Order: sequence, then C-alpha cells, then structure tokens
Amino acid sequence: MKSHTCEFTPRDLLRFLAPPLVPLALFALAMHGGAAWNLLPAPRPALDTDRTILVHQAETARARHSAEILLLGDSSCLMDVSARQLGEQLGRPALNLGTLSFLDLNAYALLLRDYVQANPGTVRAVVLLMNPEALRRLDSEPYHLGVLKNFWAGRDSCAATNWEGEACCLLGSEIFKGRLLSRAVPVPLPGAFGRAYGFTRDLEASMTREAGSVLDPGTNAFQGNAEYRLAPTLERASQAFKSALPAGVNPFVAITPVPESFAGSRYPARHAAMLAQWAAWLNADAALTELPATLPAGAFTRVTHLKEIAVTNYTARLATSLKAHLN
Amino acid sequence: MLFNSGVFLQFFAAFLLLYGLVRHHLAARNLLIVAASYLFYGWWDWRFLALLFGSSTFDFLVGLALEKLPDPRRRRLLLAASIVVNLVILGFFKYYNFFIESLTALFAHGGVPFHPFSLQVILPVGISFYTFQSMSYALDVYRREIPATRHFINFLAYVSFFPQLVAGPIERARHLLPQFDRTVVISRPMLEEGIWLILWGMFKKVVVADSVAPLAEMVFDHSHWSAASVTLGTIAFALQIYGDFSGYSDIARGTARVLGFDIMVNFNIPYAARNLRDFWRRWHISLSTWLRDYLYISLGGNRHGSARTYLNLLITMVLGGLWHGAAWNFALWGLWHGAGLAVHRAFSSRRPLVPSAPVPAQAPPRFAFQVLRFLPAWLATLAFVLYGWLLFRARSFTQILEMTRALGDFSLPPWTGSFLLNLGVFAAPLVLIEAWQERTGDPLVTLKLSPWRKAALQGALLIGIVIYWQREKVPFIYFQF
Repeated sequence: MKSHTCEFTPRDLLRFLAPPLVPLALFALAMHGGAAWNLLPAPRPALDTDRTILVHQAETARARHSAEILLLGDSSCLMDVSARQLGEQLGRPALNLGTLSFLDLNAYALLLRDYVQANPGTVRAVVLLMNPEALRRLDSEPYHLGVLKNFWAGRDSCAATNWEGEACCLLGSEIFKGRLLSRAVPVPLPGAFGRAYGFTRDLEASMTREAGSVLDPGTNAFQGNAEYRLAPTLERASQAFKSALPAGVNPFVAITPVPESFAGSRYPARHAAMLAQWAAWLNADAALTELPATLPAGAFTRVTHLKEIAVTNYTARLATSLKAHLN
Repeated sequence: MLFNSGVFLQFFAAFLLLYGLVRHHLAARNLLIVAASYLFYGWWDWRFLALLFGSSTFDFLVGLALEKLPDPRRRRLLLAASIVVNLVILGFFKYYNFFIESLTALFAHGGVPFHPFSLQVILPVGISFYTFQSMSYALDVYRREIPATRHFINFLAYVSFFPQLVAGPIERARHLLPQFDRTVVISRPMLEEGIWLILWGMFKKVVVADSVAPLAEMVFDHSHWSAASVTLGTIAFALQIYGDFSGYSDIARGTARVLGFDIMVNFNIPYAARNLRDFWRRWHISLSTWLRDYLYISLGGNRHGSARTYLNLLITMVLGGLWHGAAWNFALWGLWHGAGLAVHRAFSSRRPLVPSAPVPAQAPPRFAFQVLRFLPAWLATLAFVLYGWLLFRARSFTQILEMTRALGDFSLPPWTGSFLLNLGVFAAPLVLIEAWQERTGDPLVTLKLSPWRKAALQGALLIGIVIYWQREKVPFIYFQF
C-alpha cells in the first residue's frame, strides 16, 4: 500500500512558498541598500544591558561635556563609584565612562581619546579604576570590542555563530534591529537589571542622570578565583592608555575592592604590590593607596560590585583621596 | 529538539526527503515516522527513549488483551492495572519531588523531624502528553469504542508522532491511529493550510511569546507590585502562554498537515470567550475534552444531582491543574477555574437555554453591535482568566497574596509607557488576526485573501520571524508539563 499521494504539483508548492519570500527579499534589499546609502539612521544597537551601557558610554565620550574628572575602567568603575556624588564632593563635574563589558585598557584608551577630542582642554584628572579580576585579563572580549568599534565606525554588528545567524544577518535582521527597532521600541532588560531599571531606555536615562554610573541591582554568590595577578599584556596596554592622555594630565589609579572573606588575609599586601607596579607602568600621578583593598562581604552584590550604601562610602573615600591629590 | 531552532529545520528537511522516498511503502513510512520521532525525542535525552518505548509497548499489549478478554471483571482489572502503571510512572517522574517536599513541609509544620529518601528525579519532556495519549487508547479499547490495533509499529507511531509528541495536542486513538493504517492524501488545500499554520505558529512563538516573556518575568520576579504592574504583568503572561502553547500546537498541526495527517485543533481564540465554559471549549481543547471524557464522565459527570456535579467539576479541574505541574499553585489555578465553572453552571442553569416563544427570523446584528452586547461578559471572563494566570505563574502563595493585595495600590511604575509600547507592538498582530478570524468564524480566513495581499501578510510574518529568530531560544512553556 502507498504511504501517501500528493494531489499537488511542484508548481502549487512554488505558489505557496515563493510569494512570502518576495517581501522578505525586498526587506533585505531595503535594509542593506538603506545602510549602504545612508538612508537609514546610524546603528545604535542598545538592545540588551551590555550593549546599552556600551552605546551610552561611547556616545557620551563623543558628546560635549563639562566634566573635569573622568572615570575610566571596568564594571567595578561603572558600578562602585557614583560620578554624580564624586562631582558634588569635589566641587568639579565628574563623568563615569566605565563599561560593563570585558574591555581592556586599549579600549578605555579609545574612549578617552574620543572624549578629549570632543572636549579639548576640559579634563583635569583621569581616574583609572579596575578590579583585580579584570587586571589579569589578557585582552578585550572580541564581541564587546567589536560592538564598540562597529558603533563608532557606523557599521552594523553581526555576531553570527552559526548558519542561522548568518542567514538572519544576510536578510537584514541586525540592520533593522540596530538602526530602527532599538530606537523605536525599548527592550526589557533581563533579570535584576529588568527589575531595577525596567527597559533599555530607562537604564540610559538613569545613566545620564547619574553621570554615567550604574548600580548593580543583583545579588550573586561570590564566584571566581582569588589568585590575583597582573596580566603580562597590561604593561603594553598601560603605555597605550598613557599615550591617549591629554598633555599634562597623568592618571590616578586604583584597584577596586574585593570581599575580605573571598580574597583572604594576604590579599592587601598583594593589592599594594599590584597597584604600585601598575602605577609605575602608567607613570601615574598617584596610586590611590588610601582606598581599601578589601571590604566586608556584606558590602558586595558580587565579588566585583558594591551595594548602594557601600558605593556611597567608597565614593566619599575616593573623593577625599582625590581632593588631597588635586589640591 | 525545539521547533524554533535550526536543528529542527534541518531535521524536518531531511525527514521530508526520506518521506518522499518511502511514498510507495506504508510500512516503511510508519517505520520512518517512528525512527524520526525517537530521534526527535532522544535529541533532548536519549535515556528516556526507553520510557517512551516501554510505556507504548505496555499499552499496546494491554489493548490486545482488553480486546480478547470476554470477562468484564477481568477486563476492568486489566484496565485498572494499566491506569495504575501509567499513573505510577507519571507520578514518579512528575510528582515524586513535590510529594516528598510537601510531606517534609507538613512534618516540619507539626514539629516532627522527617528525613525522606530523596532522589534527583529529572522530568522527561512531554511525559504528561504521551502518557495521557497512550492511556486514552487503553480506555477507548476497554469501552469498545475502537478495536485494538495489531500493528505495533503503527501504535508506536501513534504515541510518538513527533509533531505532537512533547507538547500535544493530546490525540485520541480513534482519530489519529487509523491514519497510520492507510494511505494519506496531501491535497493542495492541506499543503497550503499546513504552510500557513507553521508560519503563524512560528510567529506566535518567536515574535509574540518570546518577546513578551521578559515583560512577564520583569513583573513576576519582582518583590514589590502595584495594581498597574500586576495587571500589565499578568496580561503579558497571558499573551506569552497563549502565544507559546498555541504557537506550538499550530506548528504541530501544520507539520502534520504537510505530511498528510490531521491532528486536532487545540486552541480556538480562547481570549474571545464570553464565559468560562466557552473559554474551556477554546483553550487546550485536547486536554479539556480528555478530562471531560475520561475523568469528569467517569466520576459521574452531571448524572447524580447538582451537588455531585459541582464536586465532579472541582475534582476534574483541580486534577487538571495538577496535570500542569507538581506545585500547589497549579492546583489552586484548577480550583479557581473549577469554582468558576460551577458558579457559571449554577447561574446558566437558571436561565432557559431555549426561548419559550419562537423568535422571528432577523438579520444577524452588526459586528460592532455584537461586540458592545457581549463586552461586559467578555471583560468579566477575561478578568477571571487573567487572575487565574496570576495564580498559575506566581512562585508561592505569599506572592499570590502580595500581588492580590497590590491590586489596591494605584501607583504607576516608571516603566509603564515602555511596557505598554512593547505589549502593543507584539500583541497587535496577534489580536488583529484573531479578531478577524473570530469575526468571520474562519480560522483560515487569511488564506482567502487575494494572492498579493496574502503574500504581503505572510511575508510580513516571515520578516518578523527572521528579525527575532536570533536570540536566546526560549523553550516552550508546556515542555515542562
């Protein structure tokens, strides 16, 4: 007995399948054509927490700003210091250009260059803050660095890892999302960020209000490896960063705190040694040794980020330390 | 294997190729379906293939024995044994942890130390669906509604048919099983309908459900609420679960249709229901009719007076709630709906269903007039169903109480505008197309458009799917049931 009989012709099949592909092809053409001939707005892929923060900081770095104190660094810089509070306590406007993503000093140098170019003569001090976790990283994460560089270059990002992703990029999905959708429809943020901030647009508004700083809304178990060291690539990256500094401005450097119980009793000595070495590589004006190497575990939301109350205290200590050096 | 994944697209393309090759051999087709279905299921965890095979083999043998046995008492015993075995398997995998946790909590409440033997039991995907499908076969053979099949492979294909294996619809043997015994015809309308259902189902899942899922999560994972956030979050979840589950059912039906098979309709625009009974005729139809036929009627249905009828409704709905998962909030959800159905039954039985005097023939009222006429009933039903979804989605009784209490707080969360914009953007296509289907009474009304309009509509859906295809794949909610 036969399995099945087909009461349709190949022509019927084509008639059912082909017509919906025509609008899809037109859409792909419109997206790629619009991007190639600049008929569409520039890419602004603020579509998730990471990219929203990256895009916000990259845009801020290119905008006019009156900040005299510039904070640069990893997520601990972004989340452990309130730039608004720092500015108020120092009596000089401060701006936080820290990023959530895994970027290195070379990437921070790019942000700094942009800022100095957009705001010549305004920067009085650059404060570089990194967590010991980040100091042992060799390079930037290619994905995050790609997002940043593509954003600046006005290119669309396509982070395809398989044939489905490549097909979607080919059909213009990323161009649509990055250039149109992200501007028209705010995206809900996942997890704790969603609960605390809501949508991408709300996070950006909060960052603008807070002069670039973000509070870590999560609570996470302490994870990771407490054997901290400086990455061998850090010396060269430090020199690249130094070359981006405006003339006459040397950086202040600090290593942000980690939980006491996690880092162990020997860590403060290690912290001091790492800070001294890093400051020497940067030829820094000052290593902010007054800042604590560790804080009680209760001050942290995760190994690298502080809770709101601890951010206030840490910022106050940073302000005191900077005031002494700036005067 | 998820329908909304590249792996499934490759799998289905390869399957269609092989399906074409076996078109002259019925037995080979059924064998191919079984092999493909087992591959589809084993992709998730091959160890549970033995469970699927064992469960199917057991019910196949029970069916044969039930048909042969003349003695009603022995037949009843055999059926009881079959039901017990199926429910023990289901109960162990699905409810063991829940039972132990509830027992421990109960003992702890009484101050008695209790240290049960704990196991890390993994819930096999789709076990509730295929167990119920397999059980319905034994029940139908017992009731002599269908003959027992003698074709083992056909029976394996019936239980494991991949389009509906892991999330239904829960098919009945009398409908699906005979299709494996005969040559199926793939007609032009079937093919067109199948392609449309796959496209529409994918859109509902990939674009609607997965986009509103973070909205629901944002509210339900929070710890502070207001009336606005509870309402918006519950609407988001109502859209998510509907888009997710009905999307799956549509893809399942479409896939089967393309192969020449017919599987039952599982959803019929449920949020257009004008009363709770109507809702249950439209929501998860394969489960609600299963519960009606095999549980409610077996409990006595409405044959033993009003009080017993209401009790039967409550029992059926609570067990139906627990079918969804091993948690008390599912039982509460079932109880909520059971109570609602009982109240609706009590009130509707007081009103005569047939008018006493003949009504003169008249033109049907305009759609707008109908909408206004039924608006209060529709809104009341929707509000009832939405509160039910709150019970269903909440993680604890405390959360239910706090979210219910928050309904008295009229403050607006700062993200209200963005939330509404997202809901509007993602719900609009679904609402518009379903309103059109409801108005015309034709779920395939989109296929009656002119070729250009049809191409534009289907193309727009396809563009939506392509835009949202590349993001973290969200498993279908009903996989966990």
